[in-house]
Amino acid sequence: MEMKDYGNGLNPTWCKGCGHFSILRSLQTTASRMNIPREMLAVVSGIGCSGRISGYMNAYSFHSVHGRSLPVAQGIKLANPDLIVVAAGGDGDGFAIGTSHTVHAIRRNMDITYIVMNNQVYGLTKGHVSPVSHQGFKTKTTPMGSVDMPLEPGLLALASGASFYAQGFSAQQEELIELIQNAIEHPGFSLVQVFSPCVTYNKVNTYQWFREHLKSADEVRKADPSDYLGSMQLLKETEGLCTGVIYQNRTKLSYEELHQEVKEKNLATQDLRMTEAVYQQITERFKL
Amino acid sequence: MNKNFTLLIGGIQGEGVVSTGISLMKALSRRGYYTLSERKFSSRIKGGNTHVAITIAKKEEVNSVESCYDMIMAMDQDSIHLNMHQLKPKGILLYDEDIKIDEEWTDGLRSIALPLSAIAKKHGKLFMKNTSVIGCLGKVTGFTYEVLQEMVTEAYGNKGEEVLDQNIAVLKTAFNHASTTISRASFFDSEPAQAKKKMMMIGNEAIAIGAVVAGCRFMAGYPITPASDVMENLALIFPLVGGKTVQTEDEVAAIAMTIGASHAGVRSMTATSGPGMTLMGEGLGLAGMTETPIVVVDAQRAGPSTGMPTKMEQSDLSFLYHGGHGEYAAIILSPSTLQECYEMTVDAFNLADRYQCPVIIMTDLNLSLSAKTIDEISFSEPVIDRGQLASTEILESSYDGGFTRYQLTENGISARAIPGTKGGQHQVTGLEHNELGRPSDHPENRKAMMDKRMKKTDPLKEREGIILEGKASGSTLFLTFGSLYGTLKEAWMRTGKNVDLARIGRIKPLPVKQLETLMDQYEKIIVVECNYHGQLANIINQETGQPQKVKSITRYDGKGFSIEEMMEIMDRWCQEWK
Ligand SMILES: Cc1ncc(C[n+]2csc(CCOP(=O)(O)OP(=O)(O)O)c2C)c(N)n1
Ligand code: SF4
Repeated sequence: MEMKDYGNGLNPTWCKGCGHFSILRSLQTTASRMNIPREMLAVVSGIGCSGRISGYMNAYSFHSVHGRSLPVAQGIKLANPDLIVVAAGGDGDGFAIGTSHTVHAIRRNMDITYIVMNNQVYGLTKGHVSPVSHQGFKTKTTPMGSVDMPLEPGLLALASGASFYAQGFSAQQEELIELIQNAIEHPGFSLVQVFSPCVTYNKVNTYQWFREHLKSADEVRKADPSDYLGSMQLLKETEGLCTGVIYQNRTKLSYEELHQEVKEKNLATQDLRMTEAVYQQITERFKL
Repeated sequence: MNKNFTLLIGGIQGEGVVSTGISLMKALSRRGYYTLSERKFSSRIKGGNTHVAITIAKKEEVNSVESCYDMIMAMDQDSIHLNMHQLKPKGILLYDEDIKIDEEWTDGLRSIALPLSAIAKKHGKLFMKNTSVIGCLGKVTGFTYEVLQEMVTEAYGNKGEEVLDQNIAVLKTAFNHASTTISRASFFDSEPAQAKKKMMMIGNEAIAIGAVVAGCRFMAGYPITPASDVMENLALIFPLVGGKTVQTEDEVAAIAMTIGASHAGVRSMTATSGPGMTLMGEGLGLAGMTETPIVVVDAQRAGPSTGMPTKMEQSDLSFLYHGGHGEYAAIILSPSTLQECYEMTVDAFNLADRYQCPVIIMTDLNLSLSAKTIDEISFSEPVIDRGQLASTEILESSYDGGFTRYQLTENGISARAIPGTKGGQHQVTGLEHNELGRPSDHPENRKAMMDKRMKKTDPLKEREGIILEGKASGSTLFLTFGSLYGTLKEAWMRTGKNVDLARIGRIKPLPVKQLETLMDQYEKIIVVECNYHGQLANIINQETGQPQKVKSITRYDGKGFSIEEMMEIMDRWCQEWK
């Protein structure tokens, strides 16, 4: 299957130059490289400019509500473990309204991939501050500059027990494709945080700004990505501004591995008919 | 001879009051009795007073727990002064001799002090006081010692030899003591005929069984009184049939996960109560807009906010009926009995799949939590209707990405394609969308799609949803729902049935046609419900436009109605409408 076979012919509503284009292309290219049957790919997104990504995929796509891509995605995966499930959304989606779902999805470690399309601003609502906007960032709701401390997604993910955490940059598409592929192949929850500039509402964290500030994780790091403290240190030292696989723990068991029954039994395709014998068994406790 | 016997057991929360009640109910049910209990408890786990009232009958299922007691078994002081006034004139108070008694309370009453704590301390530990209670009550209710020993063995057999031995010693001593001090209550002199096989359960359990029988294999939930038992039971049952429960981070996630799982093809549900229901408003809208079938249980309790979490109310109804933001089709079922909890849950999954919308099973605290002996719900293979699913021919014939998931059809229902099905890939979105599922806010499309979604459940309006009791003799019809139905039925049977009685099993879509027929037939329809506004009455008025026909009787103090209060109301209305 070619990359274009994973598109549905719709023209994205994104502004020209928006970082989200590259993420869409990367996802489509990854699907093509991995030759994922389109009917086996479920792409779930939240609300935001970013949330539109699912609607441009030729796959089973689900554009849910603001912040809820992960619960919907986990429901899909639990029902049918054979599907490849990718959730995606903005930084508002994942680190404001949906933060709790992000943390708990990490904790559950189900075999799904979550792409955070981070532009450090609310694009869809026309430029409001986000929980990862830097202090001093001026928006319509923070005319004097944001006072709140920004969240640090990498530290949050690692502290929550992430088994795979990577960071990419929209302008480095080849690396991004590789990261997404690694993430999908990782058995367990994988989070890929992508620096994806909003050309319309974020005049600070621009492509140029990222080019000047981003470092390659592999060049900076002193330890291997399986080293938890080393990865924490890398994030601290670079102030989160690095790309590559930041952390990967291959020994942590995924939800599916811990719950063998989920792996063995596809809930979506099983026979629902109940026999009298099973009925007697389930009602045994209530009989007198 | 009394038709039934009502026993109240009270003590401090954590003393095993409820489990003692349940053990006794089970043992009595095995002897052929029917029982129904009502718990009165605070949300504290330990320390507050808790009591359970049990009405015991011989011939048929108990409709409602009596508010006057034949016997009180008090393990603490509060149980006495909170309930003394409800002891029948010939009733007996049994109490732990350690309790300081105010002479005034027991003046003129038959009361017997029992060394409940002393026996427990002497032969075991103080916390085995509830075993002393079983020994004494076992005597009063006519059990042989052997049966009681079996009961205690069943309860403590897995707690280690020492614990079991001590409990048995406590039981034996208490039973022997009771044999010399109290006699068997005359109600238990003759045994009931052991005709039918029986079961004992609570509403939440009946719902869980119904769900599994209906083929539900996924449940996501967040614990809340009085709904948690649905998830607890499914967590026990699912391993037997291959299903999965997930305790999520909150109700927002619970309903979203339910939607995801259902979208991916598995019959899915969630269960909650008022505060959680509010959070689920978001998900209801998403399920409505995306036409994803889901089943949601709302076990109502007294609100708003945390309100009275352990008290009965039926005040979520308006919110459920009118939905959250925006408009979408939904179905609300309202079981009134345990059998209905079971049957309506089976039905709920078929309705959800057939109409591709949220189906809410609305219960209330008393129905959800009260343990009851019922005649066995026997197995019959359920009809499982998964609704319209796209055939492979359709999927193969549509061009790549051209499957019209939201095709405009005569009845508004369009075929689903489940993820994993070849050729069925499509978009689902909470945005307004066209037949392909792609976002569209074109006015013509919007109108067509709204009409499509809203008309799906229209046929149900024509279908009956009210179940009548009696033979349409009177001029007054009493209409109610949920656990109130049992109380009304008991009052109705005792007042000589001069009015008619009905319960409503489907509130949305309201059975408008049937209601209009009933309004022609009766002078007045009196709607009895536990909320401030008379929410059901208001909905009926709104949909039928004959407010002069409808009278509303409400209560919102967390207590619900007693049989006697209901009898009085019925009598009064009989007089007025003669
Ligand atoms: C419950 C709810 N609250 C608020 C909104 C409005 N809203 C839509 S998108 C969005 C934030 C978008 O920012 P982000 O997630 O960072 O995505 P981006 O648009 O920047 O890609 C908000 C607040 C909504 N749709 N739903
Ligand atoms: S507003 Fe920003 S995030 Fe939204 S499409 Fe335009 S550039 Fe992209």
